[in-house]
Amino acid sequence: MKIKELIKQDAGFQYIIDSMEFMSSAGRRRMLKTDFCNNADELRNEWHRLDCAIQATLEYKYKKPYIDLRHCLMCLHDLQGTLSSLSNHTALNEVELFEIKTLSQQAQIAKGAIEGLGLSEILPIPDTSEVFSLLDPDHTGIANFYIYDSYDPRLTPLRRELNALQTSDGDPIRISELLALQNEIQAEVCIRLSDQLHVWADTLITTMEQMAYTDFLLAKAELSIRWELTQPEIGDAIEYKGLINPRLKERNEKANLRYQPVDITLHPGVCLITGANMAGKTVLLKSVGTAQIMAQCGMYIPASKAVVKLFEGVLTSIGDDQDEMNGLSSYAAEIIKISDILRSCRQHDMLVLIDEPARTTNPVEGKALVQAIIKILNDMSSTTMVTTHYSQLGATCRRLRVKGFVENMSDLPLNPQNINRFIDYSLTEDNSDDVPHEALRIATILNCDTEMITLAQQNINQ
Amino acid sequence: MPFVRNILHYNSLSIVGLEKNTGKTVCLNYILRRLNDMGAHVGVTSIGVDGEQVDSVFATAKPEIVLYEGTHFITSEQHYLKRQLVSCLEAVDSRRTALGPLVTARVLIRGKALLSGAATTGILRTQIEQLDSMGVDISIVDGALSRLSLASPTVTDAMILATGAAVSANVKQLVSKTKFLHNLILLDEVDPSLREQLNTIQSGLWAVDDEGHPHDLGIASVFLIDRAEKDILRFGKTLFASGAVSDRLLRVLAAKEKGITLIARDFTKLFITPEAYNEFTRRDGRLLVLQRSKLIAVTLNPTSPQGFLLDSKTTCNILSDALQTPVYDVMKIEQ
Repeated sequence: MKIKELIKQDAGFQYIIDSMEFMSSAGRRRMLKTDFCNNADELRNEWHRLDCAIQATLEYKYKKPYIDLRHCLMCLHDLQGTLSSLSNHTALNEVELFEIKTLSQQAQIAKGAIEGLGLSEILPIPDTSEVFSLLDPDHTGIANFYIYDSYDPRLTPLRRELNALQTSDGDPIRISELLALQNEIQAEVCIRLSDQLHVWADTLITTMEQMAYTDFLLAKAELSIRWELTQPEIGDAIEYKGLINPRLKERNEKANLRYQPVDITLHPGVCLITGANMAGKTVLLKSVGTAQIMAQCGMYIPASKAVVKLFEGVLTSIGDDQDEMNGLSSYAAEIIKISDILRSCRQHDMLVLIDEPARTTNPVEGKALVQAIIKILNDMSSTTMVTTHYSQLGATCRRLRVKGFVENMSDLPLNPQNINRFIDYSLTEDNSDDVPHEALRIATILNCDTEMITLAQQNINQ
Repeated sequence: MPFVRNILHYNSLSIVGLEKNTGKTVCLNYILRRLNDMGAHVGVTSIGVDGEQVDSVFATAKPEIVLYEGTHFITSEQHYLKRQLVSCLEAVDSRRTALGPLVTARVLIRGKALLSGAATTGILRTQIEQLDSMGVDISIVDGALSRLSLASPTVTDAMILATGAAVSANVKQLVSKTKFLHNLILLDEVDPSLREQLNTIQSGLWAVDDEGHPHDLGIASVFLIDRAEKDILRFGKTLFASGAVSDRLLRVLAAKEKGITLIARDFTKLFITPEAYNEFTRRDGRLLVLQRSKLIAVTLNPTSPQGFLLDSKTTCNILSDALQTPVYDVMKIEQ
């Protein structure tokens, strides 16, 4: 699985990418093609590199080598097309040669800056000074470029004559001839230079990729510092202390609302999550999904303490995939997705997050489906979280309940603006087969239509 | 011609035409040659690599520009590779246009080149800054088609307006169309303290009260305004349109009340016809701008693309009288 595919899982990972400060489009591209890694050694190595980058960032943030490196990365152009032309023996034009000259120069500056940061060991940049020399025959040391006279002995006399004619409004036919001849020579030189550069193609591709990786690593380090992320340990089960959903935390902070981190442990099999409306069940699923993806693409985690289990992938059914254009109702889209998840889990060890399955169909069949889904997933090695409002499911799996609405949690008046302060988002083990019944209570606090609420209450009492 | 000397008082200059084929390029070539004689360090670019220009007709239809030694120019990769001069690349932009990335180069041996440039005024502004940082005395922006946005004082400091037989072969119509735009370019400015307040407003229609304080009228787009709109004059009879001004807005205001003052950002935001403008002014309406463009010269191309030729001297004189400003025949100044 690549990060690109995991974004589509809608576990909230897009927000993480959007929050990262990449200096170049190449750095962002590098992030998107990162593999979802389930090799513990590789991940530990990546976390080690991240740790080094964090230390260097903290030490050098406003100092020369760090600023130089960021500047180099900002100037980095994505030369994938040009470099693959070079590999394929396609002749490059002047603009492409200029770009390669700039890359070779920037790479050397970056190399020096990385040395200054003490990161040469984890960020090796190839030596491209020979490439620069080849494109700088007059030893100017500047990354400007044209087909210099010194590339071909015919150019000096030709250009001297051309210049004389142009400055004296000379014979236009001769000028055209000279320009045509010059273009021919320039094209020959471009072919020759492309041939000479061909042996460097792989080195340049590595250089480009290493620069992109450097950008990716620095962006990860910067985010780790800004969000105070934690390096996870690897274990046999998921165990988070103080898990945070960065997106919601930021939103709450902006709205001056409190944010409550949660603790959660998850073992293979199904964990059923119940809780009142507004208790943050969906957010919890997304927090767990986001943290897992972050960990397995070599990032640190938004929690105060974290143990992660490594999976082959993350699969979700969150949100409404209703697609009228495809002729699929909410229910159809959802049940197809869940059925795909079950198929996948029969072969792979996955983290599965399912939000309120079968909520859009009739409760009789809906409940039967949820029971079946839980039964199947509970017998598998995958780790699954399912949220639901159905009670009396008779399932034998583990249950966690969001504590939810606590009447005397705050001294503030209880109203729609303050309701967030009256909810305890922490989780508690729950052995009953019942779910909290707080829908009417919440509707009352939200100032909903009183006739509707009274009638509903009467219906329950009957 | 005296006007070239004036150009060097400014950092940037745009050349815009009332129509295609009004002689913008001829005018640009003339200016570049004169500035070269004067030893000025010039930067040149263009606006728009838009649909109309990426046309097979383009390469032949658009005359080439002669660039001199030392000139910095910005064009697209594809046009750069077709240049007929010797130049050294100094920068390549990471943004791509339909004709490849925009490149910046310095001319080593003079010759001809095709210019293409940013599609938006935002990018154009960064290019002018880039040319500035390369030490040019002045950046000149070649206009594309009949686009006026580049002449906004927020983009270029000064402008040259090109008109000609392409606008109309009928001298009367040519004069009236040119005069209308000329009037808009020369609209009076609001006083500096009010400009400072209104400059920061990004969107919508605003009222300015008698103390000069702006109030948002909550109308997101003036294109949606209609006669039923109530209360837009509750703060007084001075309004500020932060975006485009349309005929519709002028007519709504004219119908509302006499003596309304409407402030626009600059003349490039006025998408209005003489008819609507007349309706507005007949009701004692007054149109002002936050910032007026510096109009350096008006040039005339007496030849129309269909081959129709106006009498140069007579037309220049009639236009000069109507505009109260000198008008130059670009074909003559080129000779």
